[in-house]
Amino acid sequence: MRAIAVVFLTVPLLAQHGRYLSDSHHPSIGNPEAIAAGTKLFMGSCAGCHGPDGGGGARGPNLVRRSLWHPLSDEAIFQVIRKGVPGTDMPPTKLTDDQTWNLVAFIHALTGPASTNPVPGDAAAGKAVYWGAKAGCANCHAIRGQGGKTAPDLSNVGGSRPLAVIRESIVEPGKDLTYLGNEAAVVELKDGRTLRGVAKNRSNYSLQLVDGTGRLHLLRMSDVKELTLQETTAMPVDYGTRLSRTELRDLLAYLAAQDIRPAEGKGSK
Amino acid sequence: MRRTILAGVVICLGVVGQVRHEDVMKGAGENWLTYAGTYAGWRYSPLNQITAENAKNMVPKWVYHVPGARGLRSSPIVYQGVMYITNTNSVYAIDARSGRLVWQYADPRAQKGGVNRGAAIWGERVYFTTSDNYLVALDRQTGGLIFNKKFADVEKGTTSTSAPVIAKGKVIVGSAGGDSGMRGFIMALSAETGAELWKTYTVPAKGEKGAETWGDLIEWGGGAAWLSGTYDAELNTLYWTTGNPWPDYNGGVRQGDNLYTCSLLALDLDTGKMKWHFQFTPHDTHDWDAQSWPMLVDTEIRGQKRKVVLHANRNGYFYALDRVTGEFLRATPLIDKITWAKGVDDKGRPIQLPNIEPTATGNWICPSVKGATNWMGQSYNPGTGLLYVLTLEQCGMYFRSSQEPQPMKNFSGGGATEEGGQVVLRALDPKTGNRVWEYPMTGAGRMWTGTVSTAGGVIFSGDDDGHMVGLDARSGKNLWYFNTGELLTASPITYAVDGKQYVAVASATAVFAFGLFEPASGVEPPVVRMKK
Repeated sequence: MRAIAVVFLTVPLLAQHGRYLSDSHHPSIGNPEAIAAGTKLFMGSCAGCHGPDGGGGARGPNLVRRSLWHPLSDEAIFQVIRKGVPGTDMPPTKLTDDQTWNLVAFIHALTGPASTNPVPGDAAAGKAVYWGAKAGCANCHAIRGQGGKTAPDLSNVGGSRPLAVIRESIVEPGKDLTYLGNEAAVVELKDGRTLRGVAKNRSNYSLQLVDGTGRLHLLRMSDVKELTLQETTAMPVDYGTRLSRTELRDLLAYLAAQDIRPAEGKGSK
Repeated sequence: MRRTILAGVVICLGVVGQVRHEDVMKGAGENWLTYAGTYAGWRYSPLNQITAENAKNMVPKWVYHVPGARGLRSSPIVYQGVMYITNTNSVYAIDARSGRLVWQYADPRAQKGGVNRGAAIWGERVYFTTSDNYLVALDRQTGGLIFNKKFADVEKGTTSTSAPVIAKGKVIVGSAGGDSGMRGFIMALSAETGAELWKTYTVPAKGEKGAETWGDLIEWGGGAAWLSGTYDAELNTLYWTTGNPWPDYNGGVRQGDNLYTCSLLALDLDTGKMKWHFQFTPHDTHDWDAQSWPMLVDTEIRGQKRKVVLHANRNGYFYALDRVTGEFLRATPLIDKITWAKGVDDKGRPIQLPNIEPTATGNWICPSVKGATNWMGQSYNPGTGLLYVLTLEQCGMYFRSSQEPQPMKNFSGGGATEEGGQVVLRALDPKTGNRVWEYPMTGAGRMWTGTVSTAGGVIFSGDDDGHMVGLDARSGKNLWYFNTGELLTASPITYAVDGKQYVAVASATAVFAFGLFEPASGVEPPVVRMKK
């Protein structure tokens, strides 16, 4: 049931997010020059606490995965940068209006798809990490028809998710609620057979199971004797230590380039 | 746990196998593998669990509300218990037994919106086209992208709306946008890679044969191919229809027949070479696209057995052609009131009446711009030997604009109205073209739904008021109806899962599935264990 809740939660989430994005009318928002200028400011003054992709750090919160209900408007972010947050590590700044808006434009862009933002790292080296045995991503994930089918398809991961969210789902996969729609499952059927795979869409009446070979089974719960679900994600939780910082950065660069709509002339694969 | 999944012994009772040429050749059954159910375009199923006797016991089985849908045009594909339906730049895989979503694929960044008429299935993949002309291949079990390949430029006025048809590993796609100026084409792309195999333009280039039937605007002549067509495997021939010449209502700037618009084209599947063409409406000025299904039926015409292609046209006539040679065999009125022609000559060319052109102040002509019929799926039932066609008795005012034609500016050289009128479902005898029965409907002439017919002797269709209806295939008698609560804009299909027959249709915003009533049996709460 949680899986379904997540699916339906995504819709208001996107709706809210979309409304937030469209609320802003300042000309710097979405302006590539403003975003580029904001990038420099951010990397110099903000990335130390908030992380280079805005994903948060020890002293600064995540700027990408913000509250779903009543998120800050661009104007409110402008004021936070200008005045700081009293009682926290966030200091006031003396940036000009234009500089502050450039910074807001960059922070705004961070919430957009990773493929639309500049990403550090070497995508070609990241490709080798992705397809190599150490990371083993392709055992479960597919990109453009290659790879496993039990975990979510990543052909459009860069075209649909912010970089910080992709990073978080690799190093802290338990935080990424996508797994609730992809629970590792063992199904014992009343006729004595057993199926193992990932439960994709479960209700009290039906279950969709993708087995280890990528085959889809449409099951009636009335045919199920017992269903065992893994409570946590089937994604390995050790990528933060299994991969070096460089490997992780390059892997992110490769994933950020996975987009079903790559910009014309922007080779990514 | 991950390793357990990979290493685990799997007992397969799930969705296995792949769609091969011979599977599609077999036609509909449990599965419904191509837009019209069969390559011949019949929209006919041998399923016979639902009959004229028990259709009164039909009830809705499930509803799937397609997110954000407005006026769905998609005819579902069903394979091994999974239904595939499209909306604008998106595909939904639905458990055909329960109506639960299996996966969805969406491309919200496509450069164009617009309608989509459905998906195709081949091998292990589901195919559809985006409005900005990408052929997209998806893993049918997970919805994962295999490839997306651009086959035409939206910047040249072309968009894509039709369901692909796949034959012998070739994905046949068409082109839409003919009301704003573009050059129509039909293309074959590789099902394996999406690579272009051939491209046949529906309007000749300057200097080519047929160019003499145009003026200076030939490069924007239209002839869109916005509806998929049919295929005769024995003749290895595709039958594809083409749309209006551009600008739609101002024929003065394009003197001549305007080949090959408002036509039926017979193309070789392997090369795309045009074997023959037949133009229903030469020099059309009423936007009477020929987009209505070319139905491939072997029947007797004047006592002689022939391979025929039947075609109910928007211009008001119902045609029979020899599908081997393209020879005109017969045309009969499809509707009661035709005011632009007094008939069709022995070569099939309409005998036009005077003063039929659109004018600055408006000219009242029957049929209306929507036509005597349109792209609604027709069906042919070999059991009754009848063809079932949605027809529209409607007239309209046609206006002409003398403005300089500007391509890709939403300019069509004039305009037209649709006023009043009535939708009538008609059963036609292919041998004679005569009407056998008819089912008049109430409504405003706005529906787009077609028909499906079955070996159970039932025709399913939608009426012009948003009801699904079941009619006796022999008599047209109403057997069953259900109010979907909104306009029906796509054609129904039938399929079976676990030995139970379903009838499904996309309404404006949802997919409905119907079947025979069965008493509910309560479901025990499943035993679910959570493992750390």
